[in-house]
Amino acid sequence: MGLFKRSPLSERQDRAVEKTYAQLRTQRRSRFRVLACIDGTEEAFNTVRFAARLAPGNDCDIIILFVRPVDQGLWSGGLQVRLARQNMLDAGFELPGVRDLKRALDILREEGVPTGDWPTTTAHEDAWGDPLGDNKVEYKSIEGKSVVLKLKTAPDPASGILDQYELGPYNLMILGEPSAWRGEVHSWFDSGVVQRVAMLAPCSVLVTRASLDKTGFLICTDGTARSMQAVRRSAVLAHMTGQPITLFCAADKEKNLKWADANVKAARTLLTAIDIRVRKTLTAVGRPYEEIAKAGEDFQVIVVTDEGRTRLQRALRGSTATEVVRRAKTSVLDVR
Amino acid sequence: MAAADFLLARDSLQAHEPDHRLTRMRRRGYQRVRYILSLIDLQFFWAKRWFFISMLAGFIFAHLPLPHGISHDGQLVLSMMLMATIIFVTEPIPLPTVPLLIIVGQVVLLGVSPTKVAQSLMTDSVLFILGSLMLAVAIVKQKLDRRIAWAIVRVTGTNAYWVSFGITAVCGMIAAFIGEHTVAAMMLPVGMRLIQLTSPDPKKIHNLAAVILFSISYGCSIAGIATPSGGARNAIMINYWYEFFFNPVDPSTRRFLMDYMGWALYAFPMFLLRLPIVTALLFFTFRPETKDMSRAIARLRTQVMVEGPLKVSDYVSIAIFGMTIIGWVFWSEQLGLGTIALMGVSAFLVSGLVRWEDINTGVNWGVVLLYAAAISLGVEMQATGAAEWVAQSFIAALKPIGAGSGIGLHAAISVLTFTVSNTMTAGAAVAVLGPVVLKTATVTHEDPIVIGFIAAISSSFGYLTAAAQPAFTIIYASGYLRGSDFLKIGWRMMLVSFILLMLISTFYWPLITR
Repeated sequence: MGLFKRSPLSERQDRAVEKTYAQLRTQRRSRFRVLACIDGTEEAFNTVRFAARLAPGNDCDIIILFVRPVDQGLWSGGLQVRLARQNMLDAGFELPGVRDLKRALDILREEGVPTGDWPTTTAHEDAWGDPLGDNKVEYKSIEGKSVVLKLKTAPDPASGILDQYELGPYNLMILGEPSAWRGEVHSWFDSGVVQRVAMLAPCSVLVTRASLDKTGFLICTDGTARSMQAVRRSAVLAHMTGQPITLFCAADKEKNLKWADANVKAARTLLTAIDIRVRKTLTAVGRPYEEIAKAGEDFQVIVVTDEGRTRLQRALRGSTATEVVRRAKTSVLDVR
Repeated sequence: MAAADFLLARDSLQAHEPDHRLTRMRRRGYQRVRYILSLIDLQFFWAKRWFFISMLAGFIFAHLPLPHGISHDGQLVLSMMLMATIIFVTEPIPLPTVPLLIIVGQVVLLGVSPTKVAQSLMTDSVLFILGSLMLAVAIVKQKLDRRIAWAIVRVTGTNAYWVSFGITAVCGMIAAFIGEHTVAAMMLPVGMRLIQLTSPDPKKIHNLAAVILFSISYGCSIAGIATPSGGARNAIMINYWYEFFFNPVDPSTRRFLMDYMGWALYAFPMFLLRLPIVTALLFFTFRPETKDMSRAIARLRTQVMVEGPLKVSDYVSIAIFGMTIIGWVFWSEQLGLGTIALMGVSAFLVSGLVRWEDINTGVNWGVVLLYAAAISLGVEMQATGAAEWVAQSFIAALKPIGAGSGIGLHAAISVLTFTVSNTMTAGAAVAVLGPVVLKTATVTHEDPIVIGFIAAISSSFGYLTAAAQPAFTIIYASGYLRGSDFLKIGWRMMLVSFILLMLISTFYWPLITR
């Protein structure tokens, strides 16, 4: 027995728990899991539509997340807000988050995910001392596709979303349009939910904007091995969801245009080798993030490769991927 | 590999494990680590910046050269008040921490004996606040909301204007006795029921929803000042009058022993005058999409009929509540407001109408501590002469603009109080400003009762944000209202209330001053 015993279980029981947990993890990793985050605004429901379109098959799971901040504050004059909430629940009213999750479910149905007759399971867990805690409803089809509606309680929405990742993991996290995006240094002190999650998420992040009526993926590359990996993986996603692919590379100077041409050609060859058709290749000269944002205006999604830089490195050297996410007028997929 | 063989999970975007080192940790453990880590980065210092700024401001103020006319202890009390005010407004730390720091400060900085500080925390006013909060939970638990709604619409009919007026009037009449937050929590389901029965899509009737929900919150808010039991601020002001002006051996100071009816005589007309104005302002501001609520009311009637007649437990709770109000009206001078409130709570507990566990989880005990410490610090402000010094400085600043006495002073105190109460809770605003405005009254030879009422009533004019009033916070929790809705109606209501208060203080109160 060690000094810092982790659990009251015996070692054998502990091993069994670890094994079950590892199996669950492996099982989840064999599925394409998409986490769509909503906050009740009309624009945020775009994340649900994107989730339905990017995770169409039976090997895909969709998790819709609404994070509710922990009830707190003395502004209610001594009567806990939770009592008023409890009163609403007792009277048969739904919390704002529940209403939004139901709306998300309706949107999924509109998008062709027929959860109506799927068996459901529900779960509740206390969280952060809040009696309403974390609640989830899971719809599972007989083919194995799962849709989860989750109402999570957390100290703030960003930490709630990032905490949720630990329960995944997820292949893709979909967020709504950022209301504000701070500079790299400023963001250390104060950043919005989307920016904070986009900076800290371990998986690929899609920041959505009103681009659902557009078509096509503009996949950007800079010729590095990391970028080529991202091109291949995002092209598979585009191909599986029926979106035409355009490859793009921006050269910072006129003399590097040949280098840009070579990059898009290499990317095209890579995709052709795995039987994925490329509609078009494009190059441009200028600041990469400006050119990408400009070229991508008419596409449904711009795909950029995250450089994998730390916050300090980003503050010192900048990040093209982050700048594109910030400036683009359309949805941006930041691939990790 | 052919395109047809692709598997999204294998060939497309990858789900990375968060961190290799963390796979050994249990998930919940990792979440806790994340939470702790989130408090240790720079964001922590940024989030708590106002706490550090308040500490720094207090330290600097306490070490400034001693201003003329104030003792060192007075300066220390003012620096504590400055720190408390900054924290009340910016809320960088949980608010119950402030009273804890005030208690520590009184012992460590001012050298007051711990026993004396502890004794100063528990007064009848604090017991009253404590009892009112417990009573509030007991009443909310009785679930009489549908019956109250039905009683309202039976009188008002199906027109949205009169329904809104009825809700405001009934909320007001109840909130005048049991505290605005209680009524808001109790009546919120009523409002939401009427809205949902009118249309299942709340977005289609946003303006009607705003009218109904604001009728509840404004009914509660305008009545919160009508009687002493309407809000903590009233009890705090009563306590200040008693502490600062009442002298048992001087019969002329007996008027400062404010009883229940005495308070109502001064403040109730302010509620009655604003009652019709609220509905008119709400309709003028929001212009509801529909005025006919007959569909909603028919459904409400069905629900009430399904519930059946009132049960014995309902009659008992109405009786206990009624007896508590009668006790406040007739025996508050002998028994104290707090004792009567506690009797009511005990009756609810003895009769089994509410469980202690419900009261325990429903009351925010930090608020009681907050008001207790704020009152204690207010008394210390008076004792050290700090209140007088601030009052002198305040008057010196007002004199050049002609607001050193009379209606000018009344207006200045009102503006000062509602400006402060828009940034912190009304109770805290009165606790902070009470000693200063009452001392101002003494220095300018104004009646402390009138000045006290102006401050207490003005503290309920915080209408601009959802966080300014307990009733607002509660209706905002419904999710039907936007933050901008509060500003839209709030400034109009604030202006009307201010004008009415000035008229009442000039023409009505002089007639009834004893």
